[in-house]
Amino acid sequence: MTTVRNCSLLIAFSCLSFFACDSDDTIAIDPVITPEIETPAQYTFERNGASTVSFSGQTTRIKMASELIDLMKDFDAMNKGNLLEFFRNDQQAPEDMYPYSDESLNTSTKSVKSKVAASQDFFSANSVESAEIKDQFEAWIVAQVDEVKPQEDIAAIAGTAGQIADGTSTRYVTGKGLEPNQLVNKGLIGALMVDQMLNNYLSTAVLDDAASGDGTNREKNDAGTVEEGKNYTAMEHKWDEAYGYLYGTSEDLSKPNATIGKDDDFLNKYMGRVEGDADFTGIAERVFNAFKLGRAAIVAKDYAVRDEQATIIRKAVSEIIAIRAVYYLQQAKASLTMETPDYGAAFHGLSEGYGFIYSLRFTRKSDSNAPYFVASEVDDLLKQLMEDGDNGLWDVKEATLDVISNAIADKFDFTVAQAGSTN
Amino acid sequence: MMRNISLAITGVLIIMLTACSSDEGPMGENGAKDDFDREAMLVNWADNIILPRYENYNQKVGILSRAVGIFSKEISQAHLESLRMAWLEAYMAWQPVASFEIGKAEELRLRNFTNVYPADVENIEENITEGTYNLSLSSKFDEQGFPALDYLLFGLADSDERLLAKFSEEDSDNGYTRYLVDITARLQSLTQQVLDDWKGGYRDVFIGNNGTSGTSSVNKIANDFLFYYEKALRANKVGIPAGQFSSGPRSEFAEAFYNGATSKALLLASLDAVQSFFNGEHHGGTGFGPGFGSYLDVLSTSKDGEQLSKRINDQFDRARSEADLLNPDLATQVGEDNTKMLKTFDELQKNVVLMKVDMFQALNIRVDFVDADGD
Repeated sequence: MTTVRNCSLLIAFSCLSFFACDSDDTIAIDPVITPEIETPAQYTFERNGASTVSFSGQTTRIKMASELIDLMKDFDAMNKGNLLEFFRNDQQAPEDMYPYSDESLNTSTKSVKSKVAASQDFFSANSVESAEIKDQFEAWIVAQVDEVKPQEDIAAIAGTAGQIADGTSTRYVTGKGLEPNQLVNKGLIGALMVDQMLNNYLSTAVLDDAASGDGTNREKNDAGTVEEGKNYTAMEHKWDEAYGYLYGTSEDLSKPNATIGKDDDFLNKYMGRVEGDADFTGIAERVFNAFKLGRAAIVAKDYAVRDEQATIIRKAVSEIIAIRAVYYLQQAKASLTMETPDYGAAFHGLSEGYGFIYSLRFTRKSDSNAPYFVASEVDDLLKQLMEDGDNGLWDVKEATLDVISNAIADKFDFTVAQAGSTN
Repeated sequence: MMRNISLAITGVLIIMLTACSSDEGPMGENGAKDDFDREAMLVNWADNIILPRYENYNQKVGILSRAVGIFSKEISQAHLESLRMAWLEAYMAWQPVASFEIGKAEELRLRNFTNVYPADVENIEENITEGTYNLSLSSKFDEQGFPALDYLLFGLADSDERLLAKFSEEDSDNGYTRYLVDITARLQSLTQQVLDDWKGGYRDVFIGNNGTSGTSSVNKIANDFLFYYEKALRANKVGIPAGQFSSGPRSEFAEAFYNGATSKALLLASLDAVQSFFNGEHHGGTGFGPGFGSYLDVLSTSKDGEQLSKRINDQFDRARSEADLLNPDLATQVGEDNTKMLKTFDELQKNVVLMKVDMFQALNIRVDFVDADGD
C-alpha cells in the first residue's frame, strides 16, 4: 500500500510541474484581479425576497430530447411520424398525434429542433450550415426507422444492418456499424446543449447587446430593470439559461453537483463521467463555481468577472466533449484488439465517439469566436473514422483510432492516455 | 510547446509508475523474470480444473437433455420431478465453469446464452406462441438457458397440475414442449462445442500462451476470474437483487426466481468454485496445484504484514459465513431481511478490492475491463 501512496504523491508532484509549465505560456504578470464578489454556496439568487432564477425552457428541451432518445430504442413503438414529431414538436395538445409521455411537454411550443445549431455566435449568419445540421439529425432519426428497425431480428454483418451483442446488451447498427440513436444522443450534446450554452447564452452578444423594448440587456441590467412580468433582468435570465442546459434536470437545482452525472443522458451525464476520472476530478466544482460567480457578478454589474467565468466554462465544457471522444475511441480500440474482437462493444463505443466528435464543432475556444474544430475538420475526422474500408466501422484500423485521438488531444491540455481510461 | 511538455510529463509518469510497480511486481527489482512457473499453473488449470469441470457440466447437461426427452414423450408428474432435479444439478454444475469465458466459450458467448436473468417471460411466451425464434441472436440472451428453463419448469402456472396441463395441450405439436426441447438442445450444443474445442487442441494453445502480455492465458483468465467475481457473482447474484445498484431491492432479479428455493445454493456453489480456483484446487477436491494463491506466495506478497493469499482466503470464508445465514431463496431473503443480503454483499466486495488492486498489482496484471456505461 505504501508503494501506491508514494506513486500518487509522485503523480501529484508531476501535476505541480505540469501547472508550472502551463503558466509559462501565459506568464502570470497581469495584476491579479481579486473579485470582490464572493462565490455563493449555491445557485440561489433573489430580488425582493423572491427567486430570480429561471431556466424551465431548458429543462423542457432536455426532457423532450430524453423522450426522443428513449423512443429511438423502442422498435415496437417507433415510426417516422412519432420520432420526427418528438424532434420537431410542431403539434401541440389537443391535436397532437404523437404526444410525449410526460404530460407537461405536450402543451409546450418549444422544440429540440429549433435550438439545434441555433446559437447567436455560430449560426445567426450561417443558416445554411444550421439547416444542414438539423437535416443531419433528421437523417439519423429516419435511418433508425428505415435501415435498422427492419433488421431488428437479424444478426449484423459487415455491410448489413442488424443486431450485435455487446456484453449482455444488444446493439442495433446500420450496415456501417453505427447506432443512429447514439449519433442523435451524443450529437445533441454538442448541437443543442453545448452550442446553446457556450455560443449563445454565454456570448456577450446575447448577454449584453440584445435589445428588447427599452434598451440593451446591459443597460437594463445596470439600471436593475426587470423584464416585464418577471423578477429577473434579461441578462440574469440568459445566464440562467446557459446553466439550465447542464443542470436543468438536477434533483437539487441550486446544488446540482450532488447528483452530477445521474440527472440526464446528455451533458450532465458526461460531466459526471469526466469528473469520475481521477485525471480530471475537480472539473464539476470548477464549472459550478464559475456559474455561481458569473451570476453573482451580473447581480454586482461586474462584467469583467462575469466574462472570466464564461471563459472557464467554455474551456471546461469543451474539454468534456473532447475527453469523451478520445475515451470512446480508445475503449473501442481495446475491444477491437482483443483475441476475439468484440465488435459489438467497439461499435457501441465508436457510435458514441462519433457523436462526440460531431459535437466538437460546437465547442468554443476561450479566446476567440471559434470552435476547437471547425466543421470541415470535424468532417475530416469522421471521414477517417468511417473510410478505412467500404463497410465503415467494420473496417476501422487501430492506427486510425489513434490518429484521430491524437488529433483531438493535441488541441487540448490533456493526453490521449489521460482521456483514454477512467482509471 | 504544450504538446512536448505533455509528452515529457507522460514519459516521466510512465517511468515513475513502472518504477513504483516493479517493487512488488513479478519482474523483480532488476527487471528479471520471477521464479514462478506460469506454464505449470496453466497445466494445472487446464488439466485438473477447467477440463474436468467442463466434463462434469457437459455430462449434467446430457442428463438434463435426456430428462427433457423423456418428459416430452410422456408428460407426467414423475417425469417433471426428474426433469427438475436434472435442471438443478446441471445449474449447479454450470457455476464452476461460468468464469472461463476464453477460447470457444468467449467466441460463442457461452455465459450470456446460458445464464442471463431475469428471463424475459413476455418474449418467451411470444416465441412459444409464434413458434419462430432465432436463439442465436444476442437479443435472445434472456429467452433461453437456465433462467428460461426455470420459468418453464417452475413458473408457468401456480400448481404442478396446471403447469403439466400447459405442456399437454394440443399433444401433436405443443409450443411449450417444443420450446423446452429447443432451448435444452441449444444448451447442450453450446457446452459440447466448448468441451470439444478444449479437447481438440485448445488445451495446448492455452498452455502455450504462457507469456505475460495482456492477451496471455494467465492475464486473460485472471481478468475473466475477476470479472466473473465482481459482476456475475457479487453483483448479479447478490447486489442487484439487494438493490445495491438501484433505488430499492429487486427480488425478481434473483437467480432461479421461479424455482424459489435454490438461489442460495447456486451462490455458494459459485463462491466455492471461485475460492478453489484461486487456490488451484483440483476438480472434486482431489488435491492442489499451482494457482493465484501460490503465485502470490512465491512473490511473498503481503498486505498489512499478512500473507495476501491468506487475507483473500479469509475474506472468502467471511463472505461464505454471511451467505450461510441467508434464506435458501434469495428473493425471499430480500423481502424479509435485506440487511443480510447487504452484509453478504459487503463481504464479497472486500475481496474485489483485495484481488483487483492488491493481487493484480502484485501479479503485474492490468484490468482489461471497465464498468460499462450503462447506456
